[in-house]
Amino acid sequence: GLLLVALLVSHMLLTKEGVTSLPICPNGSVNCQLSLEELFDRAVKLSHYIHFLSSEMFNEFDERYAQGRGFIAKAVNSCHTASLTTPEDKEQAQQIHHEDLLNLILGVLRSWNDPLIHLASEVQTIKEAPETILWKAVEIEEQNKRLLEGMEKIVGRVHSGEVENDIYTPWDGLPSLQLADEDSRLFAFYNLLHCLRRDSHKIDNYLKVLKCRLIHDNNC
Amino acid sequence: MKQRFISTLQIILQLALTTVGLTGQSYPGKPQIIRCRSLEKETFSCWWKPGSDGGLPNNYTLFYSKDSEEKIYECPDYLTSGPNSCYFNKNHTNPWTTYIITVMATNEIGSNSSDPQHVDITSIVQPDAPVNLSLETNTSANMSYLWAKWSPPPLADASFNSHVYHYELRLKPEEKEEWETVSVGMQTHYVVTSLQAGMKYVVQVRCMLDLGEWSEWSPERSIQIRKKRLPPEKPRIIKCRSPEKETFTCWWKPALDGELSTNHTLLYSKEGEEKVYECPDYKTSGPNSCYFDKKHTSFWTIYNITVRATNEMGSNVSDPHYVDVTYIVQPDPPVNITLELKKSERKTYLVVTWSPPPLADVRSGWLTLEYELRLKPEGEEWDTVFVGQQTQYTARSLIPGKKYIVQMHCKPDHHGLWSEWSPEMYTEIPPDFGVKDMVVWIIVGVLSSLICLIMSWIMIMKGYRMMAFILPPVPGPKIKGIDTHLLETGKSEELLSALDCHGFPPTSDCEELLIEYLEVEDSEDQQLMPSHDTPSKNTKIILKETDSDSGRGSCDSPSLLPVKCRESRGLPSTLQTQDGGAKEKKGGKGSWETQYTASEQKTLPCNSESIKPYTWLAAQLPSNQAAMFAYHSTMEAFKITRNTANVNTSPVLVGNEENRQSLYPIAETVYDDVEKISEMEYSRTDQTTVQIRQNQHNDKSPFMNPKRMDYVEVHKVRQDEEPTLLLKHKENSGKTKKCTLPGTSKEYTKVSTVVDHHILVLLPDQRTQNTPVSQEPVAETSQNPQQSQAEKNTSYSTTAPSDSRRDTSGSDYMDPSSFMPFFK
Repeated sequence: GLLLVALLVSHMLLTKEGVTSLPICPNGSVNCQLSLEELFDRAVKLSHYIHFLSSEMFNEFDERYAQGRGFIAKAVNSCHTASLTTPEDKEQAQQIHHEDLLNLILGVLRSWNDPLIHLASEVQTIKEAPETILWKAVEIEEQNKRLLEGMEKIVGRVHSGEVENDIYTPWDGLPSLQLADEDSRLFAFYNLLHCLRRDSHKIDNYLKVLKCRLIHDNNC
Repeated sequence: MKQRFISTLQIILQLALTTVGLTGQSYPGKPQIIRCRSLEKETFSCWWKPGSDGGLPNNYTLFYSKDSEEKIYECPDYLTSGPNSCYFNKNHTNPWTTYIITVMATNEIGSNSSDPQHVDITSIVQPDAPVNLSLETNTSANMSYLWAKWSPPPLADASFNSHVYHYELRLKPEEKEEWETVSVGMQTHYVVTSLQAGMKYVVQVRCMLDLGEWSEWSPERSIQIRKKRLPPEKPRIIKCRSPEKETFTCWWKPALDGELSTNHTLLYSKEGEEKVYECPDYKTSGPNSCYFDKKHTSFWTIYNITVRATNEMGSNVSDPHYVDVTYIVQPDPPVNITLELKKSERKTYLVVTWSPPPLADVRSGWLTLEYELRLKPEGEEWDTVFVGQQTQYTARSLIPGKKYIVQMHCKPDHHGLWSEWSPEMYTEIPPDFGVKDMVVWIIVGVLSSLICLIMSWIMIMKGYRMMAFILPPVPGPKIKGIDTHLLETGKSEELLSALDCHGFPPTSDCEELLIEYLEVEDSEDQQLMPSHDTPSKNTKIILKETDSDSGRGSCDSPSLLPVKCRESRGLPSTLQTQDGGAKEKKGGKGSWETQYTASEQKTLPCNSESIKPYTWLAAQLPSNQAAMFAYHSTMEAFKITRNTANVNTSPVLVGNEENRQSLYPIAETVYDDVEKISEMEYSRTDQTTVQIRQNQHNDKSPFMNPKRMDYVEVHKVRQDEEPTLLLKHKENSGKTKKCTLPGTSKEYTKVSTVVDHHILVLLPDQRTQNTPVSQEPVAETSQNPQQSQAEKNTSYSTTAPSDSRRDTSGSDYMDPSSFMPFFK
């Protein structure tokens, strides 16, 4: 008798858990897929996290390797994604069509696939690179891929037409990360991290704008 | 002649004045000629100081004579040079003559004259100071000049302005003490070079005629000498800030360049553009700032900003300032902060709500703000709470009655700076009545527990009477294994009377006595008697309360006990100590602890078997002293009994519970190894023995079982396989009967004591009043050292009551005997 009760209770608990862990299917949903809001929520969380990591990593690197070297002055105008014309202020971000903005985000994310893979491996060669930097490089690379997947899903949902798959800018910075000259090499890293911080912030900011525009009708 | 005349005149006047002086008013005091001075050698003036006026209006008259004449003249002009002066104009001034001048003061009573003054015109020449001193500085190339101009002192008579003065000029930097004096000559202007740039100089001039003295210094004039003219210093960009992530402003610290006006220009270039722009708006954000409106603000773009300071001498450029506006967002503080006190379940909490700063557009998602709140009771430390993106916060666990201060600030979600703290908001938490309720409840609790303590204390003091009152006696079970006839006919009555009621007044107390039984019963319980080696049944002696008709009146039958006491020499002394113990028990724990120690010392050498239980006892002492003592004393008494009388074959005496009022051991028969050994010994010596053992099961702690602790079980009564119990019959005249175990159970049986090494005295409850009875045999027992040991052993048996009392709740009945010292 007791066993039966215990079984029943556990069964109830299990089914209850099952229910709570499956909020995916909203009422009336045909394909049982995540809502756009949920997709955006996750994307924003992820982009927020990625930017947090890249920002931390940049700061750590800056503190450790870039003090007094004037890297910031040299870093001007040298991000490989600079050729992608992205909104530079609020008005631009609000005026651009959301599909175009999504495509731009995709483009930026794709443009970082390569450099992030190399960054994760090359950062190991930095002299006395702290574990925190190494770990973050790997983590960002992984999370960037996940975000890209999520964004593709969002774009697929939002886009009426075909998804443009060709927007992305190639990165040719690998040799600079392998330069023999310590100073030049450190600058190459600095610049890459600086650009990563900037682009991850861009993506985060765009995503937040898009979310407020598409989900909350500009009333976040 | 003239002098003589004057002096005689003076003498006469003085004589006249001294006579008048007696009236209270007097002739005037002596005037004094202060100075005579010629400004320009052509005229001169003399000034005097009046003496005392003698209480009356005085007239002053100046007389003069010339060295060439004897004639005395009066002053030609009293007015021109002011009061108390005399002006000698050109006509009356002769530079070649020495003038003898006297001033005479006159009033109604008399007159008085000053000492005569000899004046040589040329020696009293001193011009006034030059006037109209003006200064100018001029800077040309690397030199600074100071240009000073002045005018000669003005004279009363314009016709004398042809006089030529010599001038001197002195100057010093304002903060210094020492003057630098320059002789100028006859010019009325001068140019000073070799000045220190940036200093302020003070300048004075004075003049002199070719004769006479220098004039006073003219009033000071001062002038600031400019610094050298240089290009401006480097300006410095202090900071750039964007309040809403849409526009931004940069501020700089201007370059210092003295008095020259310097123009500041802000120039910037943006990442990805070659062109250099100038600041679009110098005004909006105030002086020394540049405002970049929305049009001019880009994000994710580095601005290279410099400020150029320019003046006539050149320009200087600040260090470049690199700014990505994304990272310099510092919002304004949150607004519309409201504090609302709410109550729930007695607790007050504070709900703080706020709005984002009006400039920040958080709705579009362009800017996301995070908030931090800090609050503190007035005069204490801040408690800071990070709130996240919410615009509401509930503060709990506030101290009631305190005035709280709340402030907010905010920050963009990723980069940027915290805003300033918002203005302080105040709220007062009302005093919490819940706390007062709590206090009341605590007081109530404390009071009630105090009452409980007092109650229990009274109960201790009053002993079993209280217990009996609360829990009336319950009729005890009958002794199964004892033959009533044996009890009735045995000598037990004698024994009881000896022990108990001898000399004991049969007061009403006796009526209240709770009589207890020793129940000796058969037990088939294999847990208790797992390996009994005798065919006879286990004997369990259980103390029971009797009901009133069976447990009273024992005081009236004192005949039996004394006899028995004599037979068993150890018994009386035991009684005595037991009684004392009962009293000591009331005194507190400490007394029986010492008793315990004493008994330990005595008993240890007596029997090695006793060591084990003893040690064990000691370990358990704090938690269960009472039971241990009960047990131990029983054991020891028994052992002593065994040792002292090996050969005796005696029945066990069982006291009639009605005759006996002394205490009885509470014991339970149990097995353990030690006991087994002792049993064997008894078997060998063929004694008739009663082993009274404390329950000592290995699997159970006997002390956790109140019932077991309370009882003494007659473990084995053996005499050639025929154990005997001597029972005191309730109503009997004191015969001792031999009873076989298991025999028929009899109602009133309690173990009173083990007497004469092999007699178990069973008797009813005994109060402390039995003292007189026990006194008698003391003398006898003193001869026997072993009996005195027994005496010691029993002494701590008094602790049993406290234990049993404590355990009454778990017990089936209240055993009043447990309040009494028990007797073995």
